Amino acid sequence: MSETLLEMRKITKRFPGVLANDEISFDLLKGEVHALVGENGAGKTTLMKILYGLYSPDSGSIHIKGEKISIKNPKEAINCGIGMVHQHFMLVPPFTVLENIIIGEETQRFGILNEEKPAKKIRDLMERNGLIVDMYAKVEDIPVGIQQRVEILKILYRGAEILVFDEPTAVLTPQEAEELFKTFRQMTAQGKGIIFISHKLDEVLEIADRITVIRKGRVVKTLEGKEASKSLIAELMVGKPVLLEVERPDVSPGRVILEVRNLDLKDYRKVAVLNDVSFSVHAGEIYGIAGVEGNGQTELVAVIAEAAPMEHGDILLDGKSVANWDVRRRREAGISHIPEDRHRYGLLLPFSLAENLTLGMHHRKPFVNRFQIINRNKIQEHARRVISIFDIRTPSELTPALALSGGNQQKVIVARELSAEPKLLLAAQPTRGVDIGATEFIHNQLMEAKKDGRAILLVSADLDEVMSLSDRIGVMYKGRIIKEFAREETTKEEIGFYMMGEKEHGRN
Amino acid sequence: MNLSFILFFFVKGLEISAPIAFAALGAVFSERSGVINIALEGIMIVTSFTIVWAAIALHSIWLGLLFAIVAGSLIALIHAVVSVTFRVDQIVSGVAINIFAVGLSRFLSQKVFGQETQTPTNAYLFPRFLGINSMAFLLIPIALIGWFVLYRTVFGLRLRTVGENPEAADTLGLNVYGLRYAGVIISGALCGLSAATLFPSQWISGMTAGRGYIALAAMIFGRWDPVGAVLASLLFGYADTFRIMFETKIPIPGQFVQMFPYVLAVVVLAGMVGKARAPAADGKPYEKGED
Ligand SMILES: Nc1ncnc2c1ncn2[C@@H]1O[C@H](COP(=O)(O)OP(=O)(O)OP(=O)(O)O)[C@@H](O)[C@H]1O
Ligand SMILES: [Mg+2]
Repeated sequence: MSETLLEMRKITKRFPGVLANDEISFDLLKGEVHALVGENGAGKTTLMKILYGLYSPDSGSIHIKGEKISIKNPKEAINCGIGMVHQHFMLVPPFTVLENIIIGEETQRFGILNEEKPAKKIRDLMERNGLIVDMYAKVEDIPVGIQQRVEILKILYRGAEILVFDEPTAVLTPQEAEELFKTFRQMTAQGKGIIFISHKLDEVLEIADRITVIRKGRVVKTLEGKEASKSLIAELMVGKPVLLEVERPDVSPGRVILEVRNLDLKDYRKVAVLNDVSFSVHAGEIYGIAGVEGNGQTELVAVIAEAAPMEHGDILLDGKSVANWDVRRRREAGISHIPEDRHRYGLLLPFSLAENLTLGMHHRKPFVNRFQIINRNKIQEHARRVISIFDIRTPSELTPALALSGGNQQKVIVARELSAEPKLLLAAQPTRGVDIGATEFIHNQLMEAKKDGRAILLVSADLDEVMSLSDRIGVMYKGRIIKEFAREETTKEEIGFYMMGEKEHGRN
Repeated sequence: MNLSFILFFFVKGLEISAPIAFAALGAVFSERSGVINIALEGIMIVTSFTIVWAAIALHSIWLGLLFAIVAGSLIALIHAVVSVTFRVDQIVSGVAINIFAVGLSRFLSQKVFGQETQTPTNAYLFPRFLGINSMAFLLIPIALIGWFVLYRTVFGLRLRTVGENPEAADTLGLNVYGLRYAGVIISGALCGLSAATLFPSQWISGMTAGRGYIALAAMIFGRWDPVGAVLASLLFGYADTFRIMFETKIPIPGQFVQMFPYVLAVVVLAGMVGKARAPAADGKPYEKGED
């Protein structure tokens, strides 16, 4: 068959207490998409960071086109033709697209920047790969899907032949993901090789020529894309059969728990971010908000959860207005919140799990005594119980949160928020970057909560998730809920169109 | 008020603004690379001492200037080592340097001249032009060069990248620490020019009188932009010139009139809230090879 671009042989990498990569061998052929899948913490990102020179392996070797090389830093990786689109974008928001692409690889004379030559080269790359972007727009002004194109252009500009994508579709709409895959095909047709990491198995099956499954730092198997199936991959990843469909309990919705009325909100620049938003969520119901990120979902959740000041409108919890209540009062009244950014708002990373699991309840009995002195035993006891109920994989309850894999960190938050037994749960991106095992678990927990009669507001950029969990779905676009559906009466494609605002003005 | 008086007001204002403006320009480079440089005040103290000392010792104000630039760069280097390499909080490092600078300059003055709070006068001065220290006129070309370097050169683009997103810079193979060192050292070197325009005739303890801090305010008001920072410095400088020239003619206690530039700084900055945006990674130490 075709020629081998890259070979990683018996790569081993150990972090304190974790064997992240255990003799992993991996290769990439010219013109193929090779998917790398595995649970959270399986070692995918670590392997790619080794390839990109961000970590050095403890042992093993890397060969490019048959030649053994050592990669000590990203610069050397770039020189070897390796490019990486990171899990978190590596862009400079106030800079233009063009500037972002050329940084580190500028065209210059006597140190003075020349933008014309690069512009020409970039235009050419855009056309050949179907990555059209306004070069002179500022990155902060363009949507996420387009920012990703900038990332791709950035690595193509450096002449990369081996392209690594670490969970690139986590932030895209289904249509944008399709566009990305088209670009993948254009790039592989030019003989480039693509390494694709994703937790979304449908996508993996759609695009990958080969699939390598890793579990706990070891390669389990490399499959041909054609011979693979979702359940087979899932089973290889987890080590036991996985139920891929959530079982939706049949719960008839009860009284209205959350009612949002005519909410208006402006940001600090006086730009409207929420515009006359009204909806309600009943007990035992999951109301899903679909939408491309940045259309007001974050602000909506913030207004309900965090007492962010609003322009106009009202928020009622169980019939009582909470609009003027502070965060603690809202929590006491039964609002729980799984925030979208788990690192910044969900956890105190250097603190122990025990402490993280009692956050927000830490001032209440039995965790403190009459004099507000913390009772460590009670906190740890509670933590041990929750850790076992929610199956959080951790050495102990005293481990700091930062030592856990992403999926387990997320479980900690879900566990904490549900153990508060809320009336209303705000779940923002509850399974972002979380593997199928943990996703399944979190979904089941949400279903349990629904069965218990809790109202759930689910916000997710993952349309599949919204579709499979929600009873009703509201599509947000430019700060408005432009359409509301009962789940049965719509399709993924239809929602996708609304998400892009294409049916905004009554074109139906 | 005749024409020559107005002309005098304008050039005098430039002279009074220059020390603040050079430091503000320096601050732009430091902060655009991601390092808050509150040590400007201390660096200015050291450079103003050095320029006098070296000029007297070497009988040349030009050598004095050279030494002041070197001294400024060295003190800035300390700030860079402490806050970039060792990732100590940048404010803490800056405050420590400011305290250290006061002691160092007094100690050296005592050692060299036998007087702790002031040096003898220095007779080697820069040529004068239009009745003021000619070095003040350097401000205009240097501000323009600063603007050009920051926005039109490879170095400037990279410097700004490091101040906005050091992780991205790292993955692109830029030398994050090296660029931050460069930004901080440029700010120290420019404090040499602050000293050249402040009062090269003599060093007196306390003579910088908070100009380093005013320079920081000017930089913020100037939106982290070289030209903006210089214009803001001119605003403060002219306000001060106005005060000096009319102080005696206004029936307000002198102390209040002297507060004028500082009050102006506070008012102007308060009005800036929400408008200016600091470089995203400004003030944040960066650790290599982390996620
Ligand atoms: N810098 C680090 N220091 C210590 N441990 C680390 C570090 N980076 C990763 N690990 C650990 O190494 C293991 C592999 O992590 P890695 O990020 O490669 O997983 P992953 O497969 O990319 O997971 P995910 O799907 O959540 O992105 C995990 O147990 C993680 O906690
Ligand atoms: Mg990863």
